[in-house]
Amino acid sequence: MRRAWAVTVKELRQIARDRRTLLILLFLPAFFLFLYGYALNFDIRHVSLAVEDRDGSAESRQLIASFVRSTYFDQVASVRSDAEINDLINHGRVRAVLVIPEDFSRRVRDRDVATVQVILNGDDSTTATTVLGYANAVLLEASAEFGAGAETPIIRVEPRVWYNPELRSTLFLIPGLIAFISMITAVVSTALSIVREKEAGTMEQVRMAPISTLAFIAGKTAPYLIISQISGTLVILASMVLFDLPLRGTWLDLSIVLAVFLLGALGTGILVSTAADTQQVALQAAMLVAFLPTFMLSGFIFPVASMPVVLQYITTVVPAKYFLTALRGVVLKGLGLGALWQPIGALAIYAAATLGLSTARLARR
Amino acid sequence: MIRRIRTLIVKEFLELRQTPRLFGLLLVAPILQMTLLGYAATTDVEHVPIVIVDGDRSPTSRALVERFAASKNFSIVEEAGSPAAIDDSLAHGRAWLGIVIPHGMGDALMGHGPDSDRVVQVLADGTDSNSSGVALAYVSGLISEFNIGLLIDRGRRPGAVDGRVRVWFNPELESRDFMLPGVLALLLLVVTASLSSMAIVRERELGTLEQLNVTPLGRWELILGKLLPYALVGFVDVFLVLAVVVFWFQVPLRGSVPLLLGASLIYLVCTLGLGLFVSTISSTQQQAMMTSTFFFLMPMVYLSGFIFPIENMPRVIQWVTTLIPLRYFLVIVRGIFLKGVGFQVLWPQFAALAAWGLAVLSLAAFRSHKRA
Amino acid sequence: MADAVIRVEHLSRRFGSFQAVDDLSFDVRRGEVFGFLGANGAGKSTTIRMLCGLLKPSGGRAEIAGIDVGRDPEGVKRQIGYMSQRFSLYELLTVDQNITFYGGLYGLAPARLAERRRFVVDMAGLAGRERELALNLSGGWRQRLALGCALLHEPPIIFLDEPTGGVDPVSRRDFWRLIDDLSRGGTTVLVTTHYLDEAERCDRVAIIHAGRLAALGTTSELKARFDDRPIYEIRANDPVGAMTVLDKLPTVEKTSLFGTALHAVVRTSQTTDGDLRRALDDAGLTVTSIGSVVPSLEDVFLDVVDQLASRSAA
Repeated sequence: MRRAWAVTVKELRQIARDRRTLLILLFLPAFFLFLYGYALNFDIRHVSLAVEDRDGSAESRQLIASFVRSTYFDQVASVRSDAEINDLINHGRVRAVLVIPEDFSRRVRDRDVATVQVILNGDDSTTATTVLGYANAVLLEASAEFGAGAETPIIRVEPRVWYNPELRSTLFLIPGLIAFISMITAVVSTALSIVREKEAGTMEQVRMAPISTLAFIAGKTAPYLIISQISGTLVILASMVLFDLPLRGTWLDLSIVLAVFLLGALGTGILVSTAADTQQVALQAAMLVAFLPTFMLSGFIFPVASMPVVLQYITTVVPAKYFLTALRGVVLKGLGLGALWQPIGALAIYAAATLGLSTARLARR
Repeated sequence: MIRRIRTLIVKEFLELRQTPRLFGLLLVAPILQMTLLGYAATTDVEHVPIVIVDGDRSPTSRALVERFAASKNFSIVEEAGSPAAIDDSLAHGRAWLGIVIPHGMGDALMGHGPDSDRVVQVLADGTDSNSSGVALAYVSGLISEFNIGLLIDRGRRPGAVDGRVRVWFNPELESRDFMLPGVLALLLLVVTASLSSMAIVRERELGTLEQLNVTPLGRWELILGKLLPYALVGFVDVFLVLAVVVFWFQVPLRGSVPLLLGASLIYLVCTLGLGLFVSTISSTQQQAMMTSTFFFLMPMVYLSGFIFPIENMPRVIQWVTTLIPLRYFLVIVRGIFLKGVGFQVLWPQFAALAAWGLAVLSLAAFRSHKRA
Repeated sequence: MADAVIRVEHLSRRFGSFQAVDDLSFDVRRGEVFGFLGANGAGKSTTIRMLCGLLKPSGGRAEIAGIDVGRDPEGVKRQIGYMSQRFSLYELLTVDQNITFYGGLYGLAPARLAERRRFVVDMAGLAGRERELALNLSGGWRQRLALGCALLHEPPIIFLDEPTGGVDPVSRRDFWRLIDDLSRGGTTVLVTTHYLDEAERCDRVAIIHAGRLAALGTTSELKARFDDRPIYEIRANDPVGAMTVLDKLPTVEKTSLFGTALHAVVRTSQTTDGDLRRALDDAGLTVTSIGSVVPSLEDVFLDVVDQLASRSAA
């Protein structure tokens, strides 16, 4: 225990001497959170809409109004021909085009089905899917207005959104950003730590000392845990101050969730470090294991439920996935550690596995 | 001069041959990542887990539940007896949406009940607002269709507005066709930039850089001598990853392949140049790794338009994104894959990439002082 | 100096507030083996780096083979070879591949490269081991390979920075034979070292201390400082005790331990070994032997450093 502490102290001193790195590890994550939180959102407002109104009636104008009134769409152009539509879409100037046929008002008055065309610019399918959803919602409303009226009752939908009533994508994004930034910071700080000593030759010196491998690993991990915990907490604080991220759970629960996650993240870096023989290899391996997978397989951007089953199994070894669940649980849903035993348990197992594997690998040499 | 550059290139490959692990990582990892991430990169919201509470149990409500069951957008994980169950499911993340069909809905739809009984409540877990928003929209769409069916069944003219939606360039809204070219670009960036960022620093750390500085080797010769071998490796990666996208995932490539390869080459110069530049401003490999990851890779992932549309970003940030080479390459790659457009349309992006590459290489050369 | 190939005038280099090299001036003749002797951190490596064009001087100038290093560092590089303190060849390349590499950098034509390759392999004694990775060579062999690569392009001047660090004594001796051969062939060698026995093999030695030139000359010139201050070597049962006694004598300038023996520098040649022996006998210490010795460079070095110290204290 004391020997592990000696390693920790040495590591901390080394880190402290490289002031640039220390400052980067502590404060940069919070800065980036600010930058990305400010820059990024999924909310697609003001979708540029062009309208070709071949009918020009009160009813058609009412339909157009309901599109605009929904606040989702901004009418940016009125067009009169297919050529204009082509032009606008090809150059990416509009995301959607509403084409109202000449017989629109007649059909509405006759209580017939009136069909309108909605053309979506599909070059960005993420946006297009959302716009599609918006368009559907507006049309449903419009149906209710034009359509059956008091005569024929139809189903009305009343959506209520929990935890995030305005569907602010920030509340969705920020935890994801926190997870990603924390994971990368942790892996980056430890991935080179052991390889560096191997390359410099100082590893042999340390191994001569009567310190157990486990204690050595513990000593190596501890300083980065401290730094990452501080850094991660700063990031969360920044989210609360800058982006109104609520904290519906307790700080203690939050800190514990963060700590268990970081242990696993650091363990990942250390594992990479023990497996690589040069720093170049360590970096490539770290990128392979931590960078893109965390971004894409954690459920941050792409919902895991929508992935092929095989891939869903693979995501079980992405710690960020569990962290996201637990983080959102504590922060947005106010859940406690008990309710979150599954993700926290998974994180703990992951941490034990990576640190344990690292110890085994190192001891074997 | 050519000879000196050639000497450097040979040396780099000889060293690479002696580190099979690195070599392996450089060739295998991109294929692996492309495959895995290709499957992950779908924004299609499918199989949304939902909980349905059918408080009515009338033929009408059963029909509605059937609709949900049959839709590929939804996956009913639980049919609960009471709305309270929804609380629990949403809280624990078992379901994203809870749908409550009120008691008496069937009657109300026949006109025999209060208006309030025809209101279907949809409770959504807003923590994943992106998917929830889309899921809510799907619910709207499904119910809208159901409504029209109801009206037609009753022999009534629906008098409803029906929207026929056509999607250009990506009719199925197959998000993979859109995402995968983006993943390709991102992958190339991550692999090559991190690789080259260590390149020069490593020699500095090992002491071989000093020996190089004592020889008549020029600055540009050093830069090119480091750039070219990695460009070759990177180009091989382009082929491998492209093969995965086109043959494995069958993403349609509507434009010109030579144009795509040409663009990739210029893009590689940018990413490698970026790494080399980082190499010249870092004194240890650790610093190079942190600098390239935090200051370049992470921002580029978020701000390049890969996932988050640039037009959604604040004006200031949009200006900043003009400095990101990935942004231009994404336009090129998506344009060639999805739209099949050519150089006439994409030349501004080509120009931007070329300018960027030249600039970053010059910066790197400028900073490679042979004399401290 | 007439045929000076290296001319250094008031060369200095500062790192922040630390003056690493301070007003250095000296010349080196063609074909000389010129030694730079000093403790670690005295400024030897910094000086060599400046002369090789690796570091920009803060002040002063240096001319290598007639070229001003400050103004045209690149021009100098074709004329020099350099071997650094740490092994700076490519460990992942074989002996042959390293030679090919540097041959390529220096633009050696194929025929000439083949000939020089044979020379280097022979000189380094690596015949038959050309396909071994540099990684697998032990210290002494590595240094010889490094020396060989520095000589590939037959530079008239070579700079060796602590070339025998961490190398066994046999290899060191062999290495210095190589240096002697080079010198006889007309190559000028500037070598830094902190090994005093190596310094003895140089034609001239410059003693560097705290960035300054403390002494310069041939070994005999340097040892001449002891002409009227003989050094006696004393072997006693209790060397430390003997030291204490002798230090108290006004005729003894200083004493220092040399292995198990004691060197005492007396202030004037009038003090004899007999005087010293008597002093020790009086103190009740047994003396095994006592006799005058030829000053070694170690004596010189310590003396120089002492004098500098007392001068700055004054």
